[in-house]
Amino acid sequence: MNRNLLLLLPMILPILAGLIVFFAKPMKNRKTRNWFVGSFLILNLLVTALLLCGPAVRVELFDLMKGIPVLFKLDGVGRIYTALLAIMWTFSGFFAFEYMKHEGNEHRYFGFFLVALGALNGVAYAGNLVTFYLCYETMTLVSMPMVLHSLNKEAIKAGFKYLFYSFFGASLGLLGIFYMFQYTTTIEFMGGGTLDLAKLAGHESFFLVIVFLSIIGFGAKAGMFPLHGWLPTAHPVAPAPASAVLSGVIVKAGVVGMIRVVFYIVGADFLRGTWVQTAWMSLALLTVFMGSMLAYKEQVFKKRLAYSTVSQVSYVVFGLSLLNADGVLGGMEHIVFHSFIKNGLFLTAGAIIYKTGKTKVSELKGIGKEMPIAMWCYTICSLALIGIPPTCGFISKWYLAVGSLQSGMTFFSWFGPIVLLVSALLTAGYLLPITINGFFPGADYDYSKLEKKEPNKFMTIPLILLATGSVVLGMFPNAFASFIQTIIETIM
Amino acid sequence: MEFIKNFPFFSIVLCMISATISSVLSGKNAKRLSMFVVSAVGIMSALVLYYVVQTGESFVYLMGHHAAPWGNELRVGVLEGLMAFFFSIIMMLSLLGGMKQIFKDISEKKLNLYFIMIDLLLASLLALIYTNDLFNAYVFIEINTLAACGLIMSKQNGRTLVGTMKYMVMSLVGSGLILFGLSVLYGVTGHLLMPNIKESVLALTASGQYRVPVLMTIAMVTVGLAIKSALYPFHNWLPDTYSYGTPTSSALLSSLVSKSYIFLLIKIVYRVVGFDVIAGSGILNIFFVFGLAGMIMGSVRALAQNDIRKMIAYSSVAQIGYIYMGIGLGTKVGMYAAVFHIMSHAASKALLFISSNGLSLASGNGKEFADLRGAGYRNKLAGFGFMVGSLSMVGIPLFAGFISKLNFALGAFESPAKLMPTLLCLAISTLLNAGYFIRAVIVLYTPVAKAEQPENLYKRDYSFIVSVVCFVILNFVLGMFSGPIMEAIRSGLNMFA
Repeated sequence: MNRNLLLLLPMILPILAGLIVFFAKPMKNRKTRNWFVGSFLILNLLVTALLLCGPAVRVELFDLMKGIPVLFKLDGVGRIYTALLAIMWTFSGFFAFEYMKHEGNEHRYFGFFLVALGALNGVAYAGNLVTFYLCYETMTLVSMPMVLHSLNKEAIKAGFKYLFYSFFGASLGLLGIFYMFQYTTTIEFMGGGTLDLAKLAGHESFFLVIVFLSIIGFGAKAGMFPLHGWLPTAHPVAPAPASAVLSGVIVKAGVVGMIRVVFYIVGADFLRGTWVQTAWMSLALLTVFMGSMLAYKEQVFKKRLAYSTVSQVSYVVFGLSLLNADGVLGGMEHIVFHSFIKNGLFLTAGAIIYKTGKTKVSELKGIGKEMPIAMWCYTICSLALIGIPPTCGFISKWYLAVGSLQSGMTFFSWFGPIVLLVSALLTAGYLLPITINGFFPGADYDYSKLEKKEPNKFMTIPLILLATGSVVLGMFPNAFASFIQTIIETIM
Repeated sequence: MEFIKNFPFFSIVLCMISATISSVLSGKNAKRLSMFVVSAVGIMSALVLYYVVQTGESFVYLMGHHAAPWGNELRVGVLEGLMAFFFSIIMMLSLLGGMKQIFKDISEKKLNLYFIMIDLLLASLLALIYTNDLFNAYVFIEINTLAACGLIMSKQNGRTLVGTMKYMVMSLVGSGLILFGLSVLYGVTGHLLMPNIKESVLALTASGQYRVPVLMTIAMVTVGLAIKSALYPFHNWLPDTYSYGTPTSSALLSSLVSKSYIFLLIKIVYRVVGFDVIAGSGILNIFFVFGLAGMIMGSVRALAQNDIRKMIAYSSVAQIGYIYMGIGLGTKVGMYAAVFHIMSHAASKALLFISSNGLSLASGNGKEFADLRGAGYRNKLAGFGFMVGSLSMVGIPLFAGFISKLNFALGAFESPAKLMPTLLCLAISTLLNAGYFIRAVIVLYTPVAKAEQPENLYKRDYSFIVSVVCFVILNFVLGMFSGPIMEAIRSGLNMFA
């Protein structure tokens, strides 16, 4: 078989499987469907693994227009993202088998869940700007039904908010795409950028505005200020496994968009030292701080986690905006680490909602006594998010700080790490009280009412694996870091 | 092969003759005749297109072998062949998709009249595409207008009558302007055939004579055509006419009738006045500004609609704004994009009208969004068709609309002063389109409890199924394999000059 065509499988198979879940009669039965989805997710893991073991591949399907092919290829960033997708989708999928029982309409959920996986794999493999835009828009459209799953007024409102923020962002991105099409030698993603400097001569200042607009545009998906508003609205109404992938993986599609535009089309050298870098970095730092602050004040558990995502994804964005090797390394690592951690946190929130129906932080007193396994996993993930060694959050934040100090920018080189530190403190402030109150409910806690509410293995095993992952990745970071370094060598 | 040169003339005459015959036929037979005529025209246009592409040059057909400047001429190039072929496909599919509804909406005694109008409409569309004679163009503009009025009015209720009146008044204002402009042009140049006029116009501009009259005629003709094709500030007649007629009429009006005027306008720009003269006159800038305004305002109005047909109608205002914006860019690529958008919009808009009819049928004839909830489940194919049309309108890649947008953007790059407004408006209008189309799609797929479901009047209708499936395929073909089509448009427009 042509090895290149293997690349199409992770996109086509999930979409087909999703359609089967929608339309095939036997899929109305919960048991059959769970078996089907479960074995499909495992199959997807295997296919992805097979793909990752192989060399770089490239498929050109057909020309949309002269000079604009639909092109997919597998490169370093794509490898990281697709691996992340396969893993997170499996965890969240298995968790959802149990969780979605109380939400109803399960076959619709799983249908869109699988189709969205296909579209996101497309985002990972897209080889040029137009293909990327295609997959990005498709992904927004097919992931929206997961947000408005419950179809009550609030959910529909949140779904629309998600849609409009994403579309607004994407249309800014499209604006950038039109422009970049004109001033690059090719719109195919090439490490180091493809700018046609001769053509660009005289239009540089304007081009910078366009680049900045597309960064803001992709920032909408990544929850970067000023377009972060959809995240805290969408997350509390979406089912927990959906918020887990939304927050863990889908928001990273925006980050992938930024990486593609900045490092693969425009080129880091072009942006270094311009006002765009400064503005981008300021927005990232502002979002880091603001997200943590809002999370600290928020009382609804899932909303608090959503604000935390706003803040944490901007860590990644900050790393990218440094435009140097260490910063980008830290940022890319944080993509993966945050994904593990946030998935774990959201799934815990889901387990709590599923078992007790509690959504507010203040109601969670003594929860650690009722659900010890879930809360232990929560605690480990929290520590990782704060960045306490030996968990993974420490590694990425270390590189981010190093990158910032080496950036040579007079103000930001020392201001960046300070913001990161303050935000880490705030992170501890909004995550740990839940653990503390959960395990140490205080003297007035009525132990006689205590009942075991531990969820079953569909929920606990993904949680345990995610928590373990976030520690193990922190203890053995070198293989992963050196892989990212090979990517960075090609783009710097 | 030489015989093919007769086909453009044959197809026009065939339509006229069958219109005459239909007047004594029953409704059913008139329908059969119309279907035959449309398919025959389709086949002949395809052959013409093939012939022109093969020979690589346009030809002029002398009616009755009278040579210029007295004779009447048809001119056929790649673009004309392409448009005639495409228009007959759209017409065929729109007829098929709304056929059952036509038989329901129109009283039996008047059915044959409807098909007479269809034949006449096709005749006038073809004549507007092929003609090389400005006065002829005017005659067929009138026939086109009257046939269109008949199509709207055929479903007789108060609203369509009001709509028709509005349409007729506005259209006649447009025709009047065109006629006035043409007579002044005739007076100044002494010719009615396009190439001859162009020669004298070029000579006049070179010598600086009659500057004001020439400019005035250009202005009057273009404004007249703009009114007739519902460019933004003149769009008032459009929503009423499109929303209440039988769906085939709405589909034909929005995707063919208004487009034929735009095509004539492009023809006049290239073949009568000359592209450079027009570009120098500043009229293109006016098109550009009003086009942009239409793109935004049409969408804003569409956002506020509760009626699905009205929403689609207002979206037409926006899409026609796109086309004028493309013409107004004043660049070659912008013009290619405009012509491509004529096609892509025709394919998507007709699909939207046809499938929205299927959806309202499935909701007990309701057209308000409140009634349409869950209609996508009750009539799956119509829901799918509507979704494809919507995605194309929003401009998602793989669908026809995205290619138009990409081409418009490329066109804008050749005209730096207009670059930023174009790109911004494209981005904003993408967002606005997403706003109302995606909202509509979500409404269609919002499940409703069994008890609240309206009566499902949709029965399996094979012609509807064929039509929607073909439209969907057409949208994908335009979106995925636009290369050869763009190539044809390019060579066709080069033949114009």
